Amino acid sequence: MVQAGGEPPREYPGDGMAAEGRTIAFYGRGGELFGVFLVNLCLTLVTLGIYHFWARVRVLRYLWGQTAFAGDRFAYHGTGKELWKGWLKAALIFGLPFFFLKNVGEFFAGNLPLQITAALLAYILVLVFIPIAMVNTRRYRLSRTSWRGIRFSFRGRVIDFIKLYLRGMLLSVITLGLYIPIFAARRHAFMVSHAYVGNQAWQFHGRGQELFSSFVRAILLFPFTLGLSWFWYTAAKRRYFWNHTALATARFQCTVTGGPLLLFTLGNLLLLLCTVGFAWPWVVVRNVQFALRYLTFVGDLDLASIRQDVQPASAIGEGFMSFLNFLDTGLDLG
Amino acid sequence: MPEPYTIRTTWEGYYLDGQSAVRHRAVVSLFSYGLVFSTEDGGSHSWPYADLRQTQGFHADEPVRLERGGDIPELLVVPEPAFLTALSQTAPQLATRAVRLRQRRRLWLRTSLAAIGAIVLVMALYLWGIPVLSALVASRIPLAWEERLGREVVAHIAPPEKQCTDPIRLRFLEAIITTLTGSLPEQPYTLRILVVDDATVNAFAAPGGYIVVFRGLLDLTGSAEELAGVLAHEVQHILQHHVTRLLLEHASTGLLLTALTGDVSGAMVFGLESARLLGTLQHRRQHEAEADVAGLQLLLAAAVDPSGMVTLFEHLHEEGQNAPRFLHYLSTHPNTTQRIATLKALAGQSSRQFRKLLPDYDWEDMYHICAAPHP
Repeated sequence: MVQAGGEPPREYPGDGMAAEGRTIAFYGRGGELFGVFLVNLCLTLVTLGIYHFWARVRVLRYLWGQTAFAGDRFAYHGTGKELWKGWLKAALIFGLPFFFLKNVGEFFAGNLPLQITAALLAYILVLVFIPIAMVNTRRYRLSRTSWRGIRFSFRGRVIDFIKLYLRGMLLSVITLGLYIPIFAARRHAFMVSHAYVGNQAWQFHGRGQELFSSFVRAILLFPFTLGLSWFWYTAAKRRYFWNHTALATARFQCTVTGGPLLLFTLGNLLLLLCTVGFAWPWVVVRNVQFALRYLTFVGDLDLASIRQDVQPASAIGEGFMSFLNFLDTGLDLG
Repeated sequence: MPEPYTIRTTWEGYYLDGQSAVRHRAVVSLFSYGLVFSTEDGGSHSWPYADLRQTQGFHADEPVRLERGGDIPELLVVPEPAFLTALSQTAPQLATRAVRLRQRRRLWLRTSLAAIGAIVLVMALYLWGIPVLSALVASRIPLAWEERLGREVVAHIAPPEKQCTDPIRLRFLEAIITTLTGSLPEQPYTLRILVVDDATVNAFAAPGGYIVVFRGLLDLTGSAEELAGVLAHEVQHILQHHVTRLLLEHASTGLLLTALTGDVSGAMVFGLESARLLGTLQHRRQHEAEADVAGLQLLLAAAVDPSGMVTLFEHLHEEGQNAPRFLHYLSTHPNTTQRIATLKALAGQSSRQFRKLLPDYDWEDMYHICAAPHP
């Protein structure tokens, strides 16, 4: 269960011993986040939006700092300046060319082949940007996360994910969507299996094929349930992903189901609509509490074996492809 | 008998060396120059305050975390909130946020005041700031840019092959405009009128001085005075840069809404767009009201009978009850009955002598303006 509020328990069996069903605790409160949100709003308005990056850091720092495992809080080390520079780089290298390609059609009014080429290039640019952004965001966010002073890291190569992503998109189209759950599992596998806490790697043992029946069921029932069957697939996917995720010798266990997920999401929507978005901080806190309510950590985890292992960005070993990491010093989307 | 006041001098916490996830129980003592703590394995550490920074412990019940070092710092975590108070007394330069804990009782009041302040700020920006700033910027946009924008708009909606180019009748229309603008001071726009061969009952102004009238609307006017009302309204749209202002207001409203709602996802995007649209419609209504009043004043200044404008609007409104297509011109301009009432009141106030527009021209001849073959 989630411990909301109160001090973390002082009694621990001692590091390195088994703890059946250890939970991740979240102490955040909507009211406190609302305070952060208000200051962010005022400063963002006054600076005509520039403060947005620093505002984001304050929110993440609060959320990370209110989440605890085994009695210790997480910490977020990102900075507004890094996020701003990352955004600038992304805007210059992707935003501007994309904008140019999209609008260049006006200049080639009579030249159809050139217009088609421009549109195609724009589409390819987006298709390549998405995996690059996803990996760089992951690498940035994990490298700026720590627990007990040990930094997380992500060691997956961007080029591998681009290949995985493009291949997955192509197969999803060719199979008329049947490949989607497998694609989702392969993406998740990449994102999890290259993540590290210090020197300990995360593992993902799942294969998308096992999600297939639940996916097909959701699709078939989609028209009869007005789309609500999708919640059961989402819940099944979440359970599957967590139940096959492990860190060293310990595993996760997720028990969320479609019904509660549906009601919860509806609740969020209602809250946001009734308050014209002002209830957003409470929605964020609710989301974390909901996720953690169904998540436990099972098995031994020898904390002494987790050692600091900071990875400088350039050590990912991509050689000439290292420029693909240019965004990993400040991109944090979503 | 009162309890003796005990000064707490040691605190329990734990130490992390930054190299492994194992934490060591520590007993911390505070001194004037720094803190000293001993760990359960017998080690002793002395940390001067100058080397330390507090990175957690700003919120209620949050353990205090002190860091020492560079990229991979050593950590000292003390869960007890009273430690923060003691730290702030011994080393005020370090625990600057400790004061917040004492003011927690007043926090709700301050949060509510800040919330009200934020709402007031947002409303002020939306109702006053954005329109005023947009008007300021719009009036400084170079004429060449406005004309280019206007040309683009016209090229889309009134392409050359759909225009009625009867030169003689167009010259009559231009004469009406000249009469209307004769009373105006120097203005930079070259006002051009275009007629589109389309049964739509509508007219609009594009930036840079273009006025587009559809044949459908022209066919409905009974006299030059009635069309003059429409033209005066559209001229005012151009003179007051309404289209450019609307573009700026639309963009700024979008920015305001994004700032307001922070992270946007899913249903919020839809809600945002609706809110933005509502905002834009509101700005648009204000522009229409401005153009109505200023247009009628233009008629009066040019000694043109304003009752024509009122008659046309009433005619459009009546016809519109039966056939929606008549409402096109008015439907983008809501609150029709109120507009007609406003115009009537303004028109009624004046009792000047009016001159007849195009006295030697039979207005019914204008209905043939699109009869000639198009280029």
